[in-house]
Order: sequence, then structure tokens, then C-alpha cells
Amino acid sequence: MLYVKNLHKSYRSGGKSYPVLKGVDFTVAQQEFVAVMGPSGSGKSTLLNCISCYIPFDEGTITLGGQEMKDLSEDALAKIRNEKLGFVFQDFMLLDGLTVRENILVPRIIQGKVDKEAEALCSRLLSLFGIEHIADKYPADISGGERQRTAVARSLINQPLILLADEPTGNLDSKSSRAVIDAFLNARQNLNATIFMVTHDSYAASFCDRVILLKDGAVYNTLEKQGHSPDSPEERGRFQERLLEEIKKMGEETA
Amino acid sequence: MKAYDNTKTAIPPMAAPSDMFQKLQKADRKQAALYLFCNFVSLLLITAYSAMMFSPTVLLVLPEGGDSRKQMLAIFVLALFGCVVFTIYASHLFFRKKAKQLGTLMALGASRRWIAPGLFREVLTLSGISSLLGIAAGIPFTCLLWGLFRLFIVDSAEMKLAFDFKCLYLSFVFFIIVVAFSCMTAYRYLKRTNIMDVIHEEHKNEPVKELGRWCGPVGVLLLFGGAVLGYCAPHIYRAVFGYYYPPVWLNLFYAPVFVGLYLVMLHTVVHGWRSHKKHPYKNIISRSMMKFQGKQTVNNLLVSTVLIAGAAFAIFYLPTMSAGQFVDMGNRPYSYLCRYPDSQKVLSEKEISDLAAEYGLSLKDFKELPYLVLGTDGMAEIEDEGNRYHTEYRELLQEGRFLSESSYCALTGQSLSVAPGTYYAVSTTDETGLYYTNSDCTLFTNLTTGATLPVSFRGYVHADFLVTEKGLNVLNDSDYEKIANGLSEDWREHIFVFNIEGNDSYEFASALFYQLVDCYEPQYAIPTYYDRVEKINANESGEVYWGDTDTMTNISFDEPDSTDFRSYWTYMPQITILNKNDFLRTYAVFLMIFLFISVICILAAVIISYTRCMTIALNNRYVFDDLKRLGASPDFLMKEVKSQSKNVFAVPAGVGMGAMFVLYTLIMWGNDGKVTGMEVISLGLCLIIVAVLGGLFYLVYCYTVKRMCGELGILK
Repeated sequence: MLYVKNLHKSYRSGGKSYPVLKGVDFTVAQQEFVAVMGPSGSGKSTLLNCISCYIPFDEGTITLGGQEMKDLSEDALAKIRNEKLGFVFQDFMLLDGLTVRENILVPRIIQGKVDKEAEALCSRLLSLFGIEHIADKYPADISGGERQRTAVARSLINQPLILLADEPTGNLDSKSSRAVIDAFLNARQNLNATIFMVTHDSYAASFCDRVILLKDGAVYNTLEKQGHSPDSPEERGRFQERLLEEIKKMGEETA
Repeated sequence: MKAYDNTKTAIPPMAAPSDMFQKLQKADRKQAALYLFCNFVSLLLITAYSAMMFSPTVLLVLPEGGDSRKQMLAIFVLALFGCVVFTIYASHLFFRKKAKQLGTLMALGASRRWIAPGLFREVLTLSGISSLLGIAAGIPFTCLLWGLFRLFIVDSAEMKLAFDFKCLYLSFVFFIIVVAFSCMTAYRYLKRTNIMDVIHEEHKNEPVKELGRWCGPVGVLLLFGGAVLGYCAPHIYRAVFGYYYPPVWLNLFYAPVFVGLYLVMLHTVVHGWRSHKKHPYKNIISRSMMKFQGKQTVNNLLVSTVLIAGAAFAIFYLPTMSAGQFVDMGNRPYSYLCRYPDSQKVLSEKEISDLAAEYGLSLKDFKELPYLVLGTDGMAEIEDEGNRYHTEYRELLQEGRFLSESSYCALTGQSLSVAPGTYYAVSTTDETGLYYTNSDCTLFTNLTTGATLPVSFRGYVHADFLVTEKGLNVLNDSDYEKIANGLSEDWREHIFVFNIEGNDSYEFASALFYQLVDCYEPQYAIPTYYDRVEKINANESGEVYWGDTDTMTNISFDEPDSTDFRSYWTYMPQITILNKNDFLRTYAVFLMIFLFISVICILAAVIISYTRCMTIALNNRYVFDDLKRLGASPDFLMKEVKSQSKNVFAVPAGVGMGAMFVLYTLIMWGNDGKVTGMEVISLGLCLIIVAVLGGLFYLVYCYTVKRMCGELGILK
């Protein structure tokens, strides 16, 4: 589904160039739930922004659903963002003037296809994520968890190839975080969604099939969830412990 | 991803992008209102100012090419600059807030082409409507303000306001600038490729480029250095290169003033003027807030300073112009002084006494004495090709007025002995305005017989009440007789003076003035700067005398109350009670224009400072929220708010008014190398104005702090 090969990205400041991504390689298969973890400054968000074409990258290849995402026109990039990518931001990025239902439909409005099918899908997403009771409320009137679930619903309205999430639980309490993770799991189970999530939260990452650890702009290690019933709480707990251990090890190496 | 089972229908929401944009605009109405307000105010002020600047009422009073018109234009340029920067700031603010919305839409896959129509429609509507409303309100606002002046301050026939709607050209140019700039900013946002930058634009800090602590003192030096350089440049240029009129580009020498001003503001924002060595953590929060949004704060401080400087420059004109006149009127030894040509019959002493008797008054100290109008020699400045000039000696250069020593003593009560072959020039006690006196003459000529009298300048005698723009000199009695021999009555004039026994009467003074004016034949409607010797010279060279051109013949006996007549008529009598009572009326338009300019500039500065403070509050809300969570008391928070807004108000007001006060002092000193008693009084009045304006700014500051606290939820 998603192939990232030898990805490089650097920022310029005060005439100097600061490399952030130094040759990142990985793949994400269809319907996989993958997380990226790493310390601050390791390039997690930059990686996500490059994949979502929000910022241009310097070198390397990103292929999504068989289409290479380099040298595309602005219009073509916009079309990919709209139709093939769904994005969930840490601070939700809902439009204040629109209701929850309208916010979910924004990608469809952009596409110009707000038909009965879109409305039905919107209703289904509202129900799937447990936010149908707030459908006509405005973002200012709902909780953080509800806002983020609205954002997840919005990211799925165009049935994208992949859902990209940047610290989706970063601004939420544990209860809301769990509700958002459940929304992802639901999306994967019921809508066959592929999810690629950047997170600091080992608890949230423990729900993933695979976690890519990033350090200093390169892939440090990749951990996969093992066992016969990977979705069981025990297996998830063990996976979280492994994650924490690996993160500790990575920290010690840096020190 | 699999296809969905679409069975459940819902309430149809908005489907078209235009519906969505409409809803989003509704949600943004607060920031749109701020943008509308800023544009509206800018256009209103510019329209009001240009309406005044092009008004025939004003142009009739301010002489073409005169200093007053230049000053009005200079302040307009400052106001225009201020308003342009302000609208750019408003548009910047609007788009900063709008960026999150645009970025979100882009992130969700909206292309530029998709966003552009809605965005441009919104921007064009907001900037267009606000600007057009501002233009439409400009003229009524001018009428209102002018009407208030007429109602509460002074009214005269000359103050009847007329408009030349050409002034709207300027407003429309400004309108195009506002709309074009808004569209350009929208286009710039759409062109950005880094969507994350667009999304986070609102929270992006705008730290100002930090220079060392040297920038403050260097700024002050450049400020004053630039003022002196700009002031002296035309004189130096004229002296060194011999050009008649200094070119306009010489004004660029004032440029260091603006650089200096910028550095002073930068220092204020980045370092502050107090040393923090002893208490490095004092006000650290407000200082850091100031610093990290420094770019816009410095721009705002700069614009406010320039506007307040313009306002102070205009309003200082009022005391400067009037104080001297009132002091001069109070010191006159005679309440009535009148000059008339011998060729024109005017009222006799008896006729004046009879008129006075009608008002129950009697005259005292009546004196009537003759004086001569002679040709004087001197160096003429001859304009050459290419804006150059050279000087040439002329035996007959211009007119001079001459009293005999005995007449001078009789009029002034002074004792004076003038040696034969010498002359004295009459000057004020402070010896100011010496440019009206002849101190370098060597030859006087009888303009009827051509007889000459070689002379040398002996010095100045002091009699304030005799000083006019025509100048007056004193000759030895026998020299006077000699040169007067054969002089026709065309070149002879008389002066009479008197006082009133007991209290004077305005009605009598007024009646006398109108009767005197009625005596004159039309050919005597000439202004003080009309020089018959220069006319003879011009005619002899086959040229038309410049004083005979249309612009110079605007003195008319039909309008004896007009500013032009009372200020410039050659034989305008000096009647103390009349001058005192009619002063405001005579100079009403003149004074009110400068008051108007001042009000406009102050209004603009106050609005800019208020808007900046409210923006600081809105942008730093999270800082104040964090401080509250950390346990900051309302007192502490209030102190931070005050510390932020204090600089926005106090620095521009202090620097703007302070700089203009120094400039006025320099101008007064530059006129004649000293600051006279009268000028000290004017400067004192200017200080009172500074105090009043300071009080006004303080009140607005208090109101702003209250609003900021309300916005941030700081309750005491």
C-alpha cells in the first residue's frame, strides 16, 4: 500500500541546512495498523508530513497505491490528499463554523460529491464512532475525544487508501484516547482501513500491528506484535512492555 | 477499502462549496469585523483628510506654494503612510487567523483552484465594502467635525465648507491599494507549498531581528542627526552649488530620522530602556511576549509615532501662531495705528473724533506723522538657467519706508540721534524677524527726482508696534529733508496713532475699520509684498511684475473680513481691540485646518494602538491562561497587561510629541539664532497641549487595559 524508500528531508534556517530525515525505508501493507515512535526531533512528524504531501521532500521515493508521489502538480497532489489520504491531526483541525456532520463531509464537498451516498456514509461513520448524538453540534460545544473522533470520521469519508494520524491522542485524556484508538480499530475492522500513526504514547502504539522506531532521522528498529491472538489484552500488554524496553534502550544509546 | 452499504439517509447538509464558505465566514465574523473596522477607519481618515486638503475653503486661505500648504501635504504623506501600514497590518492579522481554515482545507485535499473563488470573493467583499463605506463616511465625517468646530470653537463666513470631489481620486487610489494588497496576500497564502506552515501560521512567533543594546543610543543619535541634516541640507546645497530652489530629493537627508525612529522602537521592544542587570527577572514575561511578536509591535509603534508626530506638528502651530500675536497686541503703546498713502484721502482726526463721540468715546495721544517711500539698493538674486542663481548689485532694488528721527522720537517717546549719512532699521525688542529690515543699504533714491543719498547702516532701534513686513527705517532729520525734496505724493505716506480715553469699544473700532476701508480707491487693494520698485524694474526689462499676476491680486475691498485682507493688505490698520476679538475669526480656517489634521492623526494613532493592544491580548491568551494555571494573581496578570500596553501608548506619544517639541524649538532658534520671550510662551503653551494629549492617551490606555482584561478574563 505505502512504500517509502531512502527518504531525505532537511530544513534550512539562517543559511544552514539541518537534515531531519536521513534515508528512511519502510512499507505499510493494506489494512495494517502501523505506528511510528521516537524521541522528539527524530523526524516522526516530518515523515508524516512528507507522506501526506504537506511539505515537499528532498530525495527518495514515496509510492502510495502504486502511484509515485514526486513531481506531481499542485492539483494532482490535492486530488491525492482528498481521495487517497485521510489525515487526523493532533489538534483536530475541525472547522469552527461547521457542525460535526458538515465537518465530516468537508472532503466530499471539496470533491463535489455530496450525494445521498455521502450522507448515508456520514451517518454510518457518526454511528460507528459513537458521535451521532452530536452531529448537529459545533466543535466548540463538544469534548476533545468527540472532536478527534469527528476528525477520524472525516478522514474516512472519502474511503482513502490510508489514514495518516499525527499524535491523535496527544491532546486527550486516557478515556478519550481509548475512544479514538477504538475508532481506529473499528475503521480497520469494519472499513478495511489502513492506518499509519505517529505517536509518543506506548499505550496507543500497543494496539498497532507494527511499530517503527525512528531515531535521528533513520529507522532504528521495527517491532511486530507476536502471538496467536494479537488483539488480546495480554498480548497487547506484552507488546507495550517490549516497546518500552526498546525505547529505553534507544534512550540509553543516545546518552 | 470496501464499499459501504448506504441505506441510512440523513438531513441534507450544505452541498455546495459556496454554502460552506458562507458558513465559515459567519464563524469568522469577529476577525472579519476587525478587518472591516481597520479598513473603514483608514479610508475614512484618508478621505476626510484629502477632502480638507482639496477643499476650496482651505485652498483659498493657504497660499499656494506657502509653508502651510507644504506642511499640510507633509502631514498627509505621514498619515497616508500610517494608514497604508495599518491596512497592511489589518490584512496580515485577518489572514493569520484565516490561515488555519485555509490550511485545513488544503490538508483535506482542496486545491488552490478550488479555494480561490471563495477566498477571493470573501476578501474582495470585505476589503471592497469596508473601503467604500470608509470613503462614503469620509465626507460626512469631515462635515461633522468641521461643523463641531464652527459650533463650539469659532465660526466665520470663510469657514463655509466647500468640497472639490477631486479629493475622491486619492481615496480611490487608496481603495485600490487596500483591495490589491488583500488579494495579493490571499494569493501569497494560496501559493504556499508547505501546508503545515499555513496551518500553524496563527501561532507562529514573529521575533524581531535582535540587534545589540547599541541600537537605542544610535537610534536617538540618528533621529536628531537626521533632523539637523535634513534641516540644513537645503541651505548647504544652495550655498555650495548656487541653485535657486533646492531639489525635492534633498528631503532624503531626513531619511536617518526614520531609521533612528525604527532603532529606538526596536530597542524599546527588545531591550527596554531600563537596565535589567539588578532585577533580571522583573517583567520578564511581558518583555518576552513583546520580543517574540516584536516585528508587528515595532511596525505599530513606528506608525503611531509618525502619526502622533504629525498631530503634534499640526497642533503646535496654533499656539505658535497665536501666542506671539496676543503678546504683541498687549504691548502696543497705541490702541490704534493706521498708515495711509498721501494720494488717498482718508478720515481726518476730526472725523475720527466725531465717530468716537457717537460711541461715547474720546481720543487721546493722537499723533499723525509723515514718512517717505524711497528706493533702496542691494544685491539682487538673479535666477539663471538650470535652477541656478547669481547675485548682482542694483542701485534700485526695492522699496523702503523712512521716518525722520524727530518723527520716530515723537511716535515712540524714545530719544534718538541719527548721524548724517547713516540710518537705523526699526526692529522688535528681541530683534526677531530681521529679514524684513534693510541692514545692508548704501544708497537711497528719491523715486520722483532720481536724487540719491549715500548712507551706511548704523544699527537697530526697537519699537515693536512699528514693525511690519514692509520694514521701517529712521533717517537723520536733514538727510530726510534733503531726500524728500521734490518727492511726489505717490511716494509719501502718513501714519497716525491714538488711544481711547477709558475703555475702548469694539463697535467703534469695527465702524472705524469699515469706514477707513470704504475710503480707499480700488488701486490701493495691494498686498504687503507688492513692491512698486520691483515693478518698475520688471517693466523696464519688459517683464510682467510677478505681483501683478492673478494669484497676487486676491485682496479685495469687498471682503474686508477675509483672512487674506486682514493679514496682507498693505494699509491694514492695527486696532488692538479689533485684532484681539477677531483673531480667531480672521484665522479661523487656518487654525481649524491644523486642528482638523491633528484630530485625524490622533484618531488614527489611538485606533492603531488600541487595535495592537487587543491583538496582543488575543494572541497571548494562552500565555495568560498558563499563568493563571501557575497561580498568577489577578494583580500580577493585570501588571503584565499594563506592562504590554504601556509601551504601545507611551512610547509613540513620548517620542512623537517630544521630537516635535524639539523640532519647534529648533525652528524658532533657527529663525534668528535665539528663542525669544514670545517663543518661550508659545513653547509653554505647546507643553500644555502635550500634557492634555498625554492625558487623552492615558485615558485611552486605561480603557484599553480594561478591555484587554475583559478579553483575557482577568477580574479584579
